[in-house]
Amino acid sequence: MKQDNLVIYEEEIQQIDRLLMKLLKGAEAKCTLLVDKDGHLVTRQGFTHSLDTTALAALLAGSFASTREIARLVGEPEFSVLFHQGKKDHIHISLVGERSILVVIFDDRTTIGMVRLYAKEIGEELGLVLSGSKTRKPQASRAMTNEYAQSAESKLDDLLHE
Amino acid sequence: MVSINYAFREVSCKIVYYGPGLSGKTTNLQYVHKKVPTQVRGELISLATDTDRTLFFDFLPLNLGAIQGFSTKFQLYTVPGQVFYNATRKLVLRGVDGLVFVADSQLSKMEENKESLNNLLENLKGYGYQIEDIPMILQYNKRDLPEVATIEQLQDVLNHWNAPYYEAVAVKGIGVFDTLKGICKLVIENLKAKTQVTPPLESQPSSVATVVPAAAVPAPGKSIPLGRGIDTTEVIPSQIRERYQPSPFSKAEPVTTLRPDQKVSIALGQPQIRRVSELRAPLQPDVIIPRARPQISKADLEWKPVLGRPQRPRKEESIQPRKQSILVRFLKFLIGA
Repeated sequence: MKQDNLVIYEEEIQQIDRLLMKLLKGAEAKCTLLVDKDGHLVTRQGFTHSLDTTALAALLAGSFASTREIARLVGEPEFSVLFHQGKKDHIHISLVGERSILVVIFDDRTTIGMVRLYAKEIGEELGLVLSGSKTRKPQASRAMTNEYAQSAESKLDDLLHE
Repeated sequence: MVSINYAFREVSCKIVYYGPGLSGKTTNLQYVHKKVPTQVRGELISLATDTDRTLFFDFLPLNLGAIQGFSTKFQLYTVPGQVFYNATRKLVLRGVDGLVFVADSQLSKMEENKESLNNLLENLKGYGYQIEDIPMILQYNKRDLPEVATIEQLQDVLNHWNAPYYEAVAVKGIGVFDTLKGICKLVIENLKAKTQVTPPLESQPSSVATVVPAAAVPAPGKSIPLGRGIDTTEVIPSQIRERYQPSPFSKAEPVTTLRPDQKVSIALGQPQIRRVSELRAPLQPDVIIPRARPQISKADLEWKPVLGRPQRPRKEESIQPRKQSILVRFLKFLIGA
């Protein structure tokens, strides 16, 4: 396959979390998510307990992917920012780096302008952090050992039966 | 592409059910959703039309729970089967880790199966994936219907890769879990095989990554696929390896400092720069030099009429008591006032 696995290490997450926190405070948003373009959630900050973040990540990635396709059909390389306006809550989605999407959920306590401003600023910093993780040397498989595969298979047998 | 998150201790894989329209992809997911224990499954999300045909995708997350300390998740997706939804179908395939091709066993649907399979190959090619690198399982669905093709026929037409196959009746749940288990195990096997070949960075000849983020796109199709059991040290002939691994006596001075605009390609044997953050100067708060602010009084800021002649400031006329003469004062003194 063309791409390697997406591997995220703790140090990066700490950096990313710090940046997301800065964004949250600066823009006074409710929560922010960083989602991979394939629909995997990378990390989240803020009030996300009431949200099904897994599904949200998958749907947002799908939505972003379809917007990108629309852009291509219109003759635009990419719509890098997407904004959904609701009655109470609004969502601001922007592209970060090569393959991540920054999602900010906010309400009327703040304004779209503030969110845009901060999302752009933090997005650039996030892009640097993420591209840094890309050039990293792949670490030895801490996760994928034989025991992991074996216990995963036995767990599959346990859980998936009729 | 499997996502391994060491911070959340999470492994997440994407499995896509592909196949022609009405072959039973969504039914597979619905059955899994119905039968799997509630703590394992998330919500089944269906982006469907009013007539329950898949429009974009169905999505069902499964969480196997902690395995060796890593919470393991499978995300099951289906694609819209109908021919004219190809644009959205292709989007779902992005970053796929495992494929289930759900074929309709009826003889009359053979052409549609073939067409869908060709479409799958085409869409994978669009992303630069090779079907041989992605774990795949075939599911021959609707085995209970009359006038179905035999397994040999189906294998002959559809299974060119000798992939494992399962017979199924998805509405009754026959073969659904076997298929799911099969693909999950294949994905884990593949993941294990891939991550155990951990090549040092030097042995990846074409992974030229640049530090400048805009140019950090890996050249597509260039990198060697890290497939099962490939020892990457064998991929590069030893002479070339030596050439790119300079001996300790070589005079080449390591590049230690970088200008911010300088591009660095991490090629073989060059000094490794692992992280951008190492190159950048540590962030320091901007020093703000206080400037002398011009003194503006409040009166300057007030609005003044500009039309007509500016009014001349009126001189305050102080009403001072007139100075009394000495005679008057003397008279007053006499009266005693």
